[in-house]
This record gives sequence, structure tokens and C-alpha cells, in this order.
Amino acid sequence: MNRIAAIATAAAIVSGLAAGPAAAEEAKKATFPVLVPITGFLALEGTAQRNGAVLALDEGAEGVSVAYEVQDTGTSPEVAVNALLRALSRDEVSAVAASIFGTQMLAMMPVAAEAGVPLLTVSGTAKLTELDNPWVFRFFPTDAVVKVAQARYIVEELSRKRPAILYQTTAYGQSGRGHLVAAFEKLGAEVVYEEGLAPDVRDMLPALSKALAANPDVLVLHLHSGPTALFVRQAKANGTDLPIVAGSAMHQPTTAALLEPAELAGVCAESGSSPVSVGSPEMDAFAQAYRARFDAEPDAFALGQYDAMRMALSAIADGAATPKALRDKLASMVYEGLAMTYKSDGTGNMAHDAVIVCYDGESRIPRIAARYENVDGAR
Amino acid sequence: MDGALTLQLLLNALALGAAYGLVALGFALVIGATGAVNFAQGDLVMAGGFLTVALASLLPVDGLLLLPLVVLAMAGLGLAVCAVAYLPFRNAPPVSVFVSTIAIGIMLQNGANGLFGAAPRAGPPLLSGGGEPGGLDLDRQSLAVIAAAVLLAGGTWLMLYRTQLGRRMRATAQDPEMARAMGVNTTRTIALTFALATALAGAAGLLLSNRYFVTPVEGSNLMLKAYIAVVVGGWGRIGGALAGALLVAGFEVIVSAVLSYPVAEAGLYICVLLLLLLRPQGLFGEALGRRV
Repeated sequence: MNRIAAIATAAAIVSGLAAGPAAAEEAKKATFPVLVPITGFLALEGTAQRNGAVLALDEGAEGVSVAYEVQDTGTSPEVAVNALLRALSRDEVSAVAASIFGTQMLAMMPVAAEAGVPLLTVSGTAKLTELDNPWVFRFFPTDAVVKVAQARYIVEELSRKRPAILYQTTAYGQSGRGHLVAAFEKLGAEVVYEEGLAPDVRDMLPALSKALAANPDVLVLHLHSGPTALFVRQAKANGTDLPIVAGSAMHQPTTAALLEPAELAGVCAESGSSPVSVGSPEMDAFAQAYRARFDAEPDAFALGQYDAMRMALSAIADGAATPKALRDKLASMVYEGLAMTYKSDGTGNMAHDAVIVCYDGESRIPRIAARYENVDGAR
Repeated sequence: MDGALTLQLLLNALALGAAYGLVALGFALVIGATGAVNFAQGDLVMAGGFLTVALASLLPVDGLLLLPLVVLAMAGLGLAVCAVAYLPFRNAPPVSVFVSTIAIGIMLQNGANGLFGAAPRAGPPLLSGGGEPGGLDLDRQSLAVIAAAVLLAGGTWLMLYRTQLGRRMRATAQDPEMARAMGVNTTRTIALTFALATALAGAAGLLLSNRYFVTPVEGSNLMLKAYIAVVVGGWGRIGGALAGALLVAGFEVIVSAVLSYPVAEAGLYICVLLLLLLRPQGLFGEALGRRV
């Protein structure tokens, strides 16, 4: 062995020793583009989604080397598709934290299927899991779960049978309205009034006055954040003492922050989870880490996306080395997340539980009033 | 519908119309002075709302006390908008100003989103205290909003029709070449018009921020309402813009109370289309000889 070869061999041995376990068992590399709407009309929900994903990916997993990059998808499908194509062209992608905006998801899904990459989302658009696309996984309960829970709470717990429904005229609102009406009918309740409101409606008094004229015994909302707060404020200002059971927007801390605690008395909301409510030590740790990192309160969208990324990391740590293996693992495994237990129903719907949270009129932190597990019977 | 409810609905319509009126007034002022449409006007209202939220976190006082600060700061922003989005393009085709003001609007949206986040935020009430659930506080806030808007619109009218600056502004709006020939510094006058229009937008943002909250993406909707108000009232006509705004808000609130929101929305656009067909100069006639 000449001198140069000896030095090279020694260097190789030294570097091998320095690498130690890494050389013996190389860390599995996992790359996750986070493609979510951070600007535009879904920025509130998209930002929560981004935060949840980032928190989970920063925590990482033992034996997994995690890389991620956040891209804003704005509000148009083509921006989302371009972001996905860019991410796929740059790295070997393990899975994508994909937009909460259903229209963007519908555009991204064929691209993801062709590339063979799982999309992990908290989008509520029903159609996503009705298209026989095995690459999409939804970690937020659909309307078939949360709206049924909302109706059941009203009829079974509050014993109210004359609901008035105010919903948004958007696709989101109409989907929720359809499930609510069907659930109330099944439960034997008579919907005495319903009206669709455009998201830009500012004065809620006309809707409130017409709803009250129909003599309901409960006001049921399925509105976005701002309109929900506007309606609750208007109802309280008019001295309405009917219970209000709202959609998931009301559980968001940012919605509650728009109202005084007294205005929230008697107001409840459905949601997939409520990270700010008193929960388990693990949930409290999540909420604290979230606050420390983002200076904001976590909501169910953040927690859903957090659980999604933790489940993916767990599957990769468990040996799912390729995107296809990860897809197969996600489709078959049961995962105990922070919000709930996740299991695919065969179409990619992973979340099957819902909670009802209620405000006591003294603080903006709701308590969990009811839990509904495996509402759709898919788990 | 009982009397108290009808009164409350009318009050709500007036309060909403008064705030829309300030938006439309600023919009009409810029059209009058430059012949160009400031598509950032709605986003400037949004910026005024967020500025109010930011100031309220530093100075927890009534919105009324913050109003002068907001108006002054927004007037400064108006000068900047003029310098960046209008003056470089004043001799270019009008579409250049359309695009530059749209760009300003998008920058304001994304700036607000980056600084304040996407969640709706509530500004302070114009006048605090005395609010009890049951309608009284809403009445009080509505009346305060109406009073503040009337004062601001009245002050604008006095400035336009009773001061030398107002005369210069009107002269520049009617015939910039002649105004320049008569010694009016039209560039400065146009810049001051932008400042005034933006200050009014900021005031509208403050008035709307408590009752209706403020989000980074609401500007385009407000812009649309201002545009309709100006079309209804007569292109570039100051009084017409105010009247148009009141009509738009009144139509929205009353029709949605009697029929439904979708009917009110569809009805509003049908009425605007009919108006354009039957009386394209608006209810009160155009102030300008040309339409942008």
C-alpha cells in the first residue's frame, strides 16, 4: 500500500467511525412540501394548517431526516398546481401537506396521482374522497360527521326540535346545510326557517328578524368566522335568549376574540377538536408549543394537520420508505392522534369524531360539552 | 314587522350607507380630479380599519379619539399612493392607472395579511360605554357612525365649496389645462385630492371596523359598493356618490329584510343594469363630460 492509499484508507476509517450509527443505519429522508393558502380569503384557515404542519415537522421523528418548504397557494387552483409541480420537480417528495381549499385540492389530485404522492389535507370538500383517488387523505371530519353531531346535540342534548338554519351561500355553506337538513329530518326535528347568506353580508338584523319570526327554539349557524361573530353579536344585542349552535368557525379562537365573553353566553359550536379547551397533558403541551412558536391560539385545523404530519412521520419511521408505501400504510394503519383516533374509511376519510364546545359567558375559552365518536361508523 | 324593528333596520341602513358614502365620496373625488378610477379605494378602507386596530392596541381609547390620527396617517398614505400609482402614469393611457391602483390594492392586502394575519379583527367602538344587550348599544353606535360620517362629509363639502383649496380642486377636476394656465399647481392639487380621498377611506375603515370587523380581503367588496354608488349617483358627482351609497345600503338592508339576501343582491345588480340602460348618466347626472 503506498502512502497516499494508506492516508485515504485511514481517512475513510476515521470518517466511518465519525459517522458511526449514521453510516451503519442511514436516517430515512422525508421531504414534505407544505402547499397551503396563506393569503386570500382562506388565509385564516390556511395559516392554521401551515402552523400545524410546521410544528409537527419541526418535532420530527426518530430515525427520520425531515425537510420541508412552505409555499403559499393563494386562492387559485393553477397556483396550487404550479406549486405542486415545482415541488415534485425539485425533490423526491414523501407526501404533501395540501391545501384546505377544496377547489385547489381538486386541481392538485390528478397531478399527485400521476406522480404517486400522497396529499394530506384538512379540506372539508366532500368530493375529494368521492373520486376514487387513493392518494388523498383527509384529517378533518367531513360534514357527514360534524353536521350530524351538531344536529344530534341540538335534538338529543338541548331537546330542541324547531331549528332555524342560517348558512353561507358558498359551496362550504351549501354542503353543511344539506347535511344539517338531512340530519334534522332523521332526528324528527322540523326546520322552521333557513336562509343562505353571502359571505360579504354585513347587517345580520334582517336574517335574525326573519328567523325569529318563524318561532324557532334554536338558532343553527353554518357560517364563516366573520359572519358567525356578526350574527352572534346581533342576536345578543337584540336580547335573543335562544341557544345558538354554530359551525366550526365559532370554535376558532380568532372568532371568539371578536366578541365579548358575555356575548358568547349560550353559544355552542361543532368542531373536530378544540385544542384550547382543557384536555389531556399532551393536548396542553401541543397548545403551549403552538402559542410559543406562532404567538396565536391553535384551532382544529391546525391540530388536524399536525396529526396528519405526525401520522405520516410515524409511518415513515415504521418503514414506509417510498410514497407508495406511505400511501398504503396511511390507508391501513390506525393512528392515535392528539385530536382523535384516525383510520381510513377506504376512501381517504381519516377523521370520524366530533366535539361540541360551549362558552360559559365568562371567558372566550369553550368547554367541551359533548363528544361524538365514530359518527359515520367508519372506524 | 314591528315599529321598533323597522326603526332599527332603517338605522342600520343609514349607518352602513354613511360608511359606504365616505368610501364612495373618496372614490368620486379621485375620479373628478384625475378622470381615473382608483381601484385601491376599497383596500385603503381596509388599511384604515387595520390602522385603527393597531392604534387601539397602543392607545386603548374610543374610536372617536383615534379618528384624527387615522385621518392624518391615511392622508399621508394617500400622498404616497398618488406619487407611486398615479403621477408616473398621468400621461399614459387610463388603463395604466387602473393596473397601478390594483397593484397597490394587492400590496395593501398582502401587507395587512403579513402584519395582522388573516383573521377578522375588531376595532374599538366609536363611543364606548352605555352598551347593554337589547339594542341600545347598537343604536348608540349606529347614531355615532352616522354623526361622524355626516360631519366628515359636511367638512369635505365645506372644504370643496368654501375654501381656496376646494376651488382649485374643482378647477383642476373640470379642466386641468385651464387650471394650470390660471396658475393652479395641478400636480399638488391632485396629490391633495388623493390625500383627502384616502383620509375619507381611512375614516370609513375606522367606522366599519367595530361593527363589521376588518379582514385583509374585504377591500374588493367595498370597492364594488363604491363603484355602484358612483354609477347610481352620477359619475364623478360628489353629492351623487353619497346619495348612491345611501341608496345601495338602504336597498340591501330593506330588501333583504322583506325578501332575502340573495334577492337583494341580485335585485341590486338588476337595478344598476337597468339604470345604465335607461339613465346611463346616473340619477343625478355626470359631473364629467367623459366616462373612464
